[in-house]
Amino acid sequence: MTATFAIGAFALSTLMAGATYLTARQTFLNERRSAAERQAFVNASLVRNALRVPGTQVSQLLTSVDTIPGSRSVLYDRGAWYATSISVGQDAIPRAERSLGLSGVPAIQIFTLDQTPELVVDVPLPAVRAVYFEVLSLAELESTLRTLAITLAGAALVTTVAGALLGRWASGRALRPLAGISEAAVAIAGGQLQTRVDGGDDADLQALAASFNRMAAHLQARIEREARFTSDVSHELRSPLTTLSASVGVIEAHRHRLPEPADRALTLLDGDLRRFRRMVDDLLEISRFDAGSAELSLDEVDPGELVRRSVGSTMPIDDDGRRLEPEFPVVVGNDVHGLRIRVDKRRIERVVANLVDNATAYGNGVARVTVGAAATRRGAGEPVQEPQPGPGRGGQAVAIRIGVEDHGDGIPPDERERLFERFYRGRHSGRRGSGQGTGLGLSLVAEHVRLHGGEVWVEDGPGGGARFVVELPLSPEPPTRREPEGPT
Amino acid sequence: MSRVLVIEDDERIRTSMRLALEDEGYLVDDAGSGEEGVTRFTDRRPDLVLIDIMLPGMDGFETCRSLRRLSTVPVIMVTARSDTHDVVAGLEAGADDYVTKPFVAKELAARIRALLRRSRTDDATSPVLTFGDVEIVPEAGSVRRGGEEVHCTRTEFHLLRELAANAGKVLTREQLLERVWGYDYFGDGRLVDVHVRRLRTKVEADPANPRHILTVRGMGYKLAD
Repeated sequence: MTATFAIGAFALSTLMAGATYLTARQTFLNERRSAAERQAFVNASLVRNALRVPGTQVSQLLTSVDTIPGSRSVLYDRGAWYATSISVGQDAIPRAERSLGLSGVPAIQIFTLDQTPELVVDVPLPAVRAVYFEVLSLAELESTLRTLAITLAGAALVTTVAGALLGRWASGRALRPLAGISEAAVAIAGGQLQTRVDGGDDADLQALAASFNRMAAHLQARIEREARFTSDVSHELRSPLTTLSASVGVIEAHRHRLPEPADRALTLLDGDLRRFRRMVDDLLEISRFDAGSAELSLDEVDPGELVRRSVGSTMPIDDDGRRLEPEFPVVVGNDVHGLRIRVDKRRIERVVANLVDNATAYGNGVARVTVGAAATRRGAGEPVQEPQPGPGRGGQAVAIRIGVEDHGDGIPPDERERLFERFYRGRHSGRRGSGQGTGLGLSLVAEHVRLHGGEVWVEDGPGGGARFVVELPLSPEPPTRREPEGPT
Repeated sequence: MSRVLVIEDDERIRTSMRLALEDEGYLVDDAGSGEEGVTRFTDRRPDLVLIDIMLPGMDGFETCRSLRRLSTVPVIMVTARSDTHDVVAGLEAGADDYVTKPFVAKELAARIRALLRRSRTDDATSPVLTFGDVEIVPEAGSVRRGGEEVHCTRTEFHLLRELAANAGKVLTREQLLERVWGYDYFGDGRLVDVHVRRLRTKVEADPANPRHILTVRGMGYKLAD
């Protein structure tokens, strides 16, 4: 677009400059020519009259004739040449013209003498058998034309550059709405389904923008409809689940009165009811992510406390209402000391709980859970630092890393990415007998962590098992910026 | 024995809740609609009310507001979702706490116990606390502003007393959840936020520009004299 404008401006300005030059040249030349002609005839008649008077000094006569600036006179009189200037003589006049003059034909001609263009007019004076020549230098005209040419070339250059700039500006202006549409498409692909574009004043762009917006609206409606369906289904499931939970709770309270087979059946029922509840919760959570309505409710917390409490919440409650202690250690590095992190506690609790469940179901149990500070943001594969002994180094930390290590056989590298996909069934699927997983757990972990602006990955743990690492930035720039009400 | 009123339109849920709560040792009344719930409330004067948000006709929010006009009885909202809108709207309608369906009977029983414990706590020995023109009389369980009695729910009263007893100190939402609601770490901070808003409308001259119950950004709340 810029180049088109530049080329156009160049062509146009060159054409204009060329035409101007040629017209000006022709005009100036014609002017000089007629001036020279007039002068020549006036002078010639003066000379003729003077030559009629006998005894006239020819050289004196020549100096007395009027000339226009830059012109000189040459007279051929009865075989002798006279001139007003030593710079011209008979040689100054081209042979052809000389013979034309001498044979009595008046003429006008341009020729070059010592690289200076000269205009020569011959006026035969047959009455006195002489020929009068007026020689006019065109050097001045030439220099004027040269100046003009340079000026015009300069103007053409300026015009070309201006054209290029104009083209650039115009193309930027014309394409700005397209850039807007491109940005909007990226935003929509990134999940901001409500993004729309403004077509501005241009009719063509308005049409394009309108089509784009229509497409975005359809897409949004469709995705929302699907998300709403999932959401409605899980809501509908909640009513029977509430009845089931409450009823099983009542039976549970009278468990000691049940015969052995009924007691075992109740254990099964209770276990699967829990699993069912988790599934419904997970589905609802997923539908919120899909509808883009997942919101962060941020609180500032102590990272070590956060993880300890989250791990605690996964532990079953005994008959006296006390939570059982986990059988694995939660190692909080000293570098975490004094650090505070803004997170949605409920979501991080779900993240930790899901990772612990995952390790229990597929990794032969949790080996340990670690919490450490990270001085740089992620690199998958880069080993997590061992929780640091010694004084806290909280000052340099940019993120918190939570590691959940298991006793399993590790995860092969080619499965590590796909593990976080929904309903992914890798080599673990065969072991789905324990009734734990919903197939959504790890994908939800990824969604929750992403909402916090963090990352999750899996790598080799120190004991040969897998280590799931959650990295949460200390100053989050979460994709969803909504803050909860107070204290803010 | 404490009396609990369950307002829930789904008969099966209502029955199962009645069974579970009776098993926990409560006397249970139930109602299938908001209108019926309000009538039943005036008849039976329960110690605590459970209101489902999605009721036909008069919805849970409206039912809660109606009860609030009659009483400071502890109210627990039962929601089908934990979205901000329903929870905050329920709390703003005057609920003290909420549970999300499907709840575990034990969880619900724990919430009920915590609320009832609070409403019965004997504060006879606590001193009278004052700030500005507000006076908190634990003995009477009442709050006066400029000599006038201010109607507070038990939860509002306890929250205000907790803040006043620690005047000048910042209390985090977690601390308030633990001390006022009896929650552990994972209580919902919105409970505190909405209750603080409600308290401000009662004890502040200009609730939009509070002078006493102050928000300490990123930390919590603090009472200033």
